[in-house]
Amino acid sequence: MRPTMDTQQATTSDPRLPALEFQNVAKSFGAVNVIRGVDLQVREGEFVVFVGPSGCGKSTLLRMISGLEDVTSGTVSIGERVVNDVPPARRGVAMVFQSYALYPHLTVAQNMGFGLKVRKMPAREIESRVADASATLKLDALLDRFPRELSGGQRQRVAIGRAIVGNPRIFLFDEPLSNLDAELRVHMRAEIAQLHERLGNTMIYVTHDQIEAMTLADRIVVLRDGQIEQVGSPQELYLRPDNLFVAQFIGSPRMNVFDIDKLPPGVAAQLGVPEGAVKVGMRPEDLSIDPGGRGMPAVLRMSEYTGGNSLIHLELDGGAPCLIVHHGQTSPPEGTAVHLTLDKGAVHFFDANDTSIRKG
Amino acid sequence: MNPTETAAAQMVHKGPSHKRIRLITRVCWTSALLVVAVPFVFPFLWMVSSSLKSAAEIFGAPSLIPDRFLWSNFVEVFNYQPFARHYFNSIYISLSVTGLTLIIASLAGYALARMRFAGAGLIMLFLVSGLMVPEEVTIIPNFFLVRWLGLMDTHAPLILLPTFGSHGVMATFLMRQYFVALPKELEEAGTMDGLSRLGVWWKIALPMSRPALGAVAIITFLFSWNLFLEPLVFLSSLEKFTLPLSLANFTDAYGMPLWHLQLAATTLAVVPVLTIYVLAQRQIIESFALSGVKG
Amino acid sequence: MASAMTDLSTVNNGKGRMLRLSLRRREALTALLFVSPITIGFLVFFFGPLIAVIGYSMLQWNLLTGEATFVGYANYADALRHNPDFWRVLRNSLVFAAGLVPLNMGLALLLALALHRPFRGVVFFRVIFFAPVVTSAVAWAIVWKFLLQGEAGALNEMLALMGIDGPNWLREPNWAMAAVIVTRVIKMVGLNMILYIAALQSIPRDYDSAARLEGASGWQIFRMITWPLLAPATLIISIVTVVGSLKVFDHIYLMTEGGPENGTLVLAFYIYQQAFEFFAIGYASALAVIMFVIAMALTLLQVYFRRKDRA
Repeated sequence: MRPTMDTQQATTSDPRLPALEFQNVAKSFGAVNVIRGVDLQVREGEFVVFVGPSGCGKSTLLRMISGLEDVTSGTVSIGERVVNDVPPARRGVAMVFQSYALYPHLTVAQNMGFGLKVRKMPAREIESRVADASATLKLDALLDRFPRELSGGQRQRVAIGRAIVGNPRIFLFDEPLSNLDAELRVHMRAEIAQLHERLGNTMIYVTHDQIEAMTLADRIVVLRDGQIEQVGSPQELYLRPDNLFVAQFIGSPRMNVFDIDKLPPGVAAQLGVPEGAVKVGMRPEDLSIDPGGRGMPAVLRMSEYTGGNSLIHLELDGGAPCLIVHHGQTSPPEGTAVHLTLDKGAVHFFDANDTSIRKG
Repeated sequence: MNPTETAAAQMVHKGPSHKRIRLITRVCWTSALLVVAVPFVFPFLWMVSSSLKSAAEIFGAPSLIPDRFLWSNFVEVFNYQPFARHYFNSIYISLSVTGLTLIIASLAGYALARMRFAGAGLIMLFLVSGLMVPEEVTIIPNFFLVRWLGLMDTHAPLILLPTFGSHGVMATFLMRQYFVALPKELEEAGTMDGLSRLGVWWKIALPMSRPALGAVAIITFLFSWNLFLEPLVFLSSLEKFTLPLSLANFTDAYGMPLWHLQLAATTLAVVPVLTIYVLAQRQIIESFALSGVKG
Repeated sequence: MASAMTDLSTVNNGKGRMLRLSLRRREALTALLFVSPITIGFLVFFFGPLIAVIGYSMLQWNLLTGEATFVGYANYADALRHNPDFWRVLRNSLVFAAGLVPLNMGLALLLALALHRPFRGVVFFRVIFFAPVVTSAVAWAIVWKFLLQGEAGALNEMLALMGIDGPNWLREPNWAMAAVIVTRVIKMVGLNMILYIAALQSIPRDYDSAARLEGASGWQIFRMITWPLLAPATLIISIVTVVGSLKVFDHIYLMTEGGPENGTLVLAFYIYQQAFEFFAIGYASALAVIMFVIAMALTLLQVYFRRKDRA
């Protein structure tokens, strides 16, 4: 019984029943423990994103909600009901798959209506639901086409449409945008956000892309090695990461982390290192080259021009590599000695266990 | 080694005259292939031509075109023994074997490809053991088994043995191989849509496996159609015979072949198969390629 | 509060575990149901008989009186020590395989090399070379027996036109063996050709292009690139062809009936003869077991080589 801080707060601050609850859930494939004791509550209507590196168990967690994967121990509840042994189709959830999983031998309309047909819904009802969903997703003109005749974005919409027609309590998305090109991905991301706003259903979304996580989520669940590292709003995770892993996982480019005893002389004192801290983190976007020559001394090693700004790779005195986001069209040439300054509020300290130390 | 390739390679060196060289190589290759093709084609031609000859002309001077087209041979075939009946027997037995094999192999192949259950590995190993064993090894006990079951001189063993023997196992592994390579998410979508395992198999896995099912159907049909040892051992009544047995049975009282009838019957047996083969050659050849690379 | 929570969770857990077991069991049961037809059928019509034939091979069994007496390995001793026919048969099977396998595979490879890339007429040739494969072995044997007759056979009549006096192909021991081998090769070479074509087509063309740019000749490319890359296919094809040659029955039965002078009496036919013509069930069963051992050894050899290949 070790509920995380956030879920505890969630129950006290929100009187409604959770739409979804994990209680000490674990999953193992043979001797391999994929999920190791997860506790989580998701509120009705919330958009929750599971994020983490590959192999962290985020997809397994999602599949346990869907019922495609069974639970080794602990309970998964949807509403008041423990669903550990409820077949997938009776859980009131719908899933949008990474590969869309559209049946190649059925038309768009048949694909969307398939689940309703299996559940023996009257044909007229199916038709009207498919019509509603296709209107929502602007698929009206494509209903008689086969999946192979659709573009990637259209297939994606059909996959979402198939989920909508069942009117599920919870939508599950398993890396739904990873097969799309960059431009379409941004577009579909916005569509999914709008869909959530319009439908108001609970949505659980798995991705390894932290930008997707940040833009879509009400709350993000960061996972590593089958355990929850931190749960919180995008802002919380960005501004107040619980530990080094979350600090480096959220935010792009990655946060710079330095061993405090390897910082250039005098810097540690300037930062006001709290007791027990062994590492310090600074986000690249918080650092800048000080024109007045104050701050951490460093040497510029390489600069990558990306259009609006440049990524500048430097080496601090003492040898630690450091990356900063430099605004503007020009950057100093390689080999230039510079000084870096930062907004003091954005410094993160970590103890020997990589746990954050919050000052004050 | 390939005609166009060789020509292309020479083109690089020889420059302007490459067109002529390419033509010559192609002509050489094509004629070589034509020569090799003679023993593959000639038997069929000679079979058809001789089936139209009289018993006397068959042993006369050789000619591909008969003096007189003796169509009556084809009528006599049906009078000599119940040939139509034999034809029908072969068709319905082969169709039964094909249908049964498709269902049984795709069910088992699906379970072995997709479902987790205790003993799956053991069953696989068990089935694999029969893949390469000739049917001659088990024909003797099967003879007694069939006799004990009271199925002697019936078509049942001709349907059961191929379906459940090494051919059935081969078909199972072929289907399994195909199912393993199918995208899993489609079936998971089916599960989310409320299908049972049987429903997923029937409504999703099978429709997506048409190429594999077609291949299994083709090789199974031909396998059963051409079976000889089993009918020879299990059948004794003339009207129960299958085509291969019937063809071997066009002999006189001394066991000598009645060539004009035997060849006419053989023509009747072979030509429809060859016609279908030529029309669907691509699919048929691919089916055999698929069954061969399964290992 | 704390205890109530614990109670609730244990109740949930207990209930969940019970139901989960049944759900899992249902999946396993469904799977077993799916595999049971082939498994049970295979058990009844293949595995049971396989065990039975080993038992039979140790019996002296009179089919007419139904009397069976246990004789231990006497049938094997009979075959291996006393009956000269057995070694003759084994030698015939060996000669048959030794003739058929290289001829079949060599021709198959040549044809595949000529036909694995598209050119005008490629389909025509593939269709022709593969046609005998789909033809029934019985029909094929009948027609060739007809063509190879001594006096009035089409082959000899044509040879006569060229002034050659052809032998009575199927009635002279040495010629008969050659004849059944060659006609069997023509019947089956198309299958191996197709398998080789598939293997050749799976070799990326880049290898060939790269070698050509480096100035390799067609023969060099074949010897140093194509042939080594074909090794796995060659291995599989060779095992399948060898085992296939072991079980040739209908072809021999119709063309020579094992003759002349038992010159084409091969193992598969010998088993049939002993069991169903002479009713020597015990002895025939011993032969069948020997055949099984040979086929198994060849299969295991394949597995061994493939393992080694992968390592």
